[in-house]
Amino acid sequence: MLTLENIHTYYDRIHALKGISLTVEQGEIVTLIGSNGAGKTTTLNTISGILTPKEGTVYLEGERIDHLPAHTVTHRGVVQSPEGRKIFARLTVQENLEMGAFNRNDDDGIASDYERVLTLFPRLRERIKQPGGTLSGGEQQMLAMGRAMMARPRILLLDEPSMGLAPILVEQIFEIILEINSQGTTILLVEQNAQAALQVAHRGYVMETGTIRLSGDAKTLLADPQVVEAYLGF
Amino acid sequence: MKKGLNTGLTAFAVLTYLILIGLPTRLEGAAQPVLALLLALFFFAVLRSQGKEMGRGELLQSGLVAGLVAGLLVVAEIGFFVGLLADGVKIQPVFDKVVPLNMAALLNVRAGAIINGETSLLAYAILTAYLTGAGLLGGLLVLFTRSGTASTVRSTRIPGGRWLVILLPFLLFAFIYYLGLDGVKTFGNDKNIVRLLLVLVATGAGLFALAAAKEGVEKLAIGGLLAGVLLFLPFVLNQFQNSVMSIVFIFVMMGLGLNIVVGYAGLLDLGYVAFFAIGAYVYAFVAAPFSSPYISSLLTGMGISPDSPLLGYWSAIPLAMITAAIGGVLLGIPVLRLRGDYLAIVTLGFGEIIRLFMLNLGDLTNGPRGLLQIAQPTLFGVAPSALTSHLDAQGWIFLLAIFGSAVVAFVAIRLNDSRLGRAWVAMREDEDVAQATGIHLVQTKLLAFAIGATFAGLAGQLYAARQINIFPENFSLFVSIDALALIIVGGMGSIPGVVLGALALKGLPEVLRGVDEYRIVAFATLLIVMMIVRPEGILPSARRRRELHSAEAPPPDESDVSDKPTDGQLEGGRA
Repeated sequence: MLTLENIHTYYDRIHALKGISLTVEQGEIVTLIGSNGAGKTTTLNTISGILTPKEGTVYLEGERIDHLPAHTVTHRGVVQSPEGRKIFARLTVQENLEMGAFNRNDDDGIASDYERVLTLFPRLRERIKQPGGTLSGGEQQMLAMGRAMMARPRILLLDEPSMGLAPILVEQIFEIILEINSQGTTILLVEQNAQAALQVAHRGYVMETGTIRLSGDAKTLLADPQVVEAYLGF
Repeated sequence: MKKGLNTGLTAFAVLTYLILIGLPTRLEGAAQPVLALLLALFFFAVLRSQGKEMGRGELLQSGLVAGLVAGLLVVAEIGFFVGLLADGVKIQPVFDKVVPLNMAALLNVRAGAIINGETSLLAYAILTAYLTGAGLLGGLLVLFTRSGTASTVRSTRIPGGRWLVILLPFLLFAFIYYLGLDGVKTFGNDKNIVRLLLVLVATGAGLFALAAAKEGVEKLAIGGLLAGVLLFLPFVLNQFQNSVMSIVFIFVMMGLGLNIVVGYAGLLDLGYVAFFAIGAYVYAFVAAPFSSPYISSLLTGMGISPDSPLLGYWSAIPLAMITAAIGGVLLGIPVLRLRGDYLAIVTLGFGEIIRLFMLNLGDLTNGPRGLLQIAQPTLFGVAPSALTSHLDAQGWIFLLAIFGSAVVAFVAIRLNDSRLGRAWVAMREDEDVAQATGIHLVQTKLLAFAIGATFAGLAGQLYAARQINIFPENFSLFVSIDALALIIVGGMGSIPGVVLGALALKGLPEVLRGVDEYRIVAFATLLIVMMIVRPEGILPSARRRRELHSAEAPPPDESDVSDKPTDGQLEGGRA
């Protein structure tokens, strides 16, 4: 469904991605793990069009989408839930969700997705008229994910949904990721919490300083001694 | 009680300031009621924030005490001054505005009486009564306009108060009409300033009435009535009042445009005057081609006489708007990537560039000598002021400005509710996230600049018609600053706020013309106080109010999560 071939991305002269290739199949949860500065977020931003690769191609179902501006990529169903719970802090929860559906005009579909999101995240329903910035960290993460869901993504790019959350909430967030996936949305999940990510994912890629170090079945990676040593820390 | 005392002392300081700058001299016979009204507004503002939890009696008592304290202190002060004046002490070198006329206006007696020391105690008592009444009125106003859910509010709000707020502007307008009738002697022969002040206050009160009206039929009906009264105004005001009101409403048009750029889209534009200037000059080029050396020689070369206008006022509107919009896009493109401070500086430069163009492109713009004798707007080929003696040339401009403001306000309201409006809000909040939700940033930004510029162009065109002669100096940085200040004072992102801001910042200074040298200080003070006391503006949009008072919103439930996990928890998490 989504294929990256030999992607090279630069921040000015800093070579951030040094030939990334990966694929995500329809219906999968694929996770991208690695330490700080490995290039995980850069990879997501390259896919979603916020960054443009200098070399390499991104295909969405056979069509090239690298060099498309970000809003067009969103329009094609690749929707990113940005890192650090980037929500519209001064808009209400409801307005935040509505903004997610900005590019859609199927009112019925929007209404049903709105219900779906509020069913997935009952917490948001309780807070519906509150400004996003007054939510707790976990709720903000839910809002960011909910907003991304409102675009009815074909593939959802989640950037560190567990960042800075209490363990109990991390568990909850990952359960919701599984639920979203089981409803038919393909997910590319970037995580530092490798353990949790590999437990929900079908497949995984391990990144290190702009390259893919390892890839494979999530269960295999969980058991891989290199991964265990470097990221899981037993 | 103690709060009332404090408020009274503050009011006394404010009044002393107003007396020392010579405002009463200027107001003449109307000094007492006008000062009382201003004081009532002051008390209203203070009590409103102080008296949130006060009951009805407590609030009124507070107002009464404040008014009485201010009144007694002011009377003592005036008595002191009057005593000095009667004794022939020279206080003018120290306080140059403390003259017998000033005191006479305050006490509503003849100036001669002051000099001869013949002031009665009754005059002082009346002034005290006025100011005490102001305190009571301020308290009453708070009771009338209280809103919210607090239980104290429900128990203390006076039923039907809303209707008084709604009725107030109409009463004021009726009074203005009465003052304009032949033979009415209230406030003496020179009612110029008092009537202007009343018009400003009445128009402002109209906005509050509109805000107090219930959504739906009631709002529509009141809005319609107010619009009707407003359209009637140019016919009853005199030349001076009309000319002030026309500039106020030209700035309303401009403020509404800037409000789109700054208030909706959050792009701080300090060079907004550029588009105003473009609109004015474009109209001047077509309406007075003879005053531009280049255009007149070009036209002569083409065999067209440059002596008559090329386009009428109405047919020049699209031209002025489109040219301004192009200017907006031209400014927009280079600043697309800039944010915040950098954007402000570049736009500031752009405004100056346009002014310098006007100044130095001597062939085209006639440089500092300006473009002269710009044709007046007509209606089907005739100037309406020629048809009826009730409408002078300035009144006609005022009428056009009201009309233009209405159109611009309608467009702005529709835009705010549109997809584009939401894209602007999202962009203002966070450009990155906006992009991630699928908003075309380039297009959205350029549209904000272009639409904002269009409104300024329209305002500029009318301004050129009003001024008849325009010079580059009419389009200095201060026009941008005025426009920005008025939306800040009124309430960013709010349309009634823009109107109120224009009334306060472009209208009131004209009332205070006589106290010229102090008015800039007065407005600087007003701006600073506003930013501290009410950063969202006087009539803010609902969203803006929420943004700046989010601390008062219900706090999130704290029981659910701790955001920052401790080290131990992290490891144990899911294993």
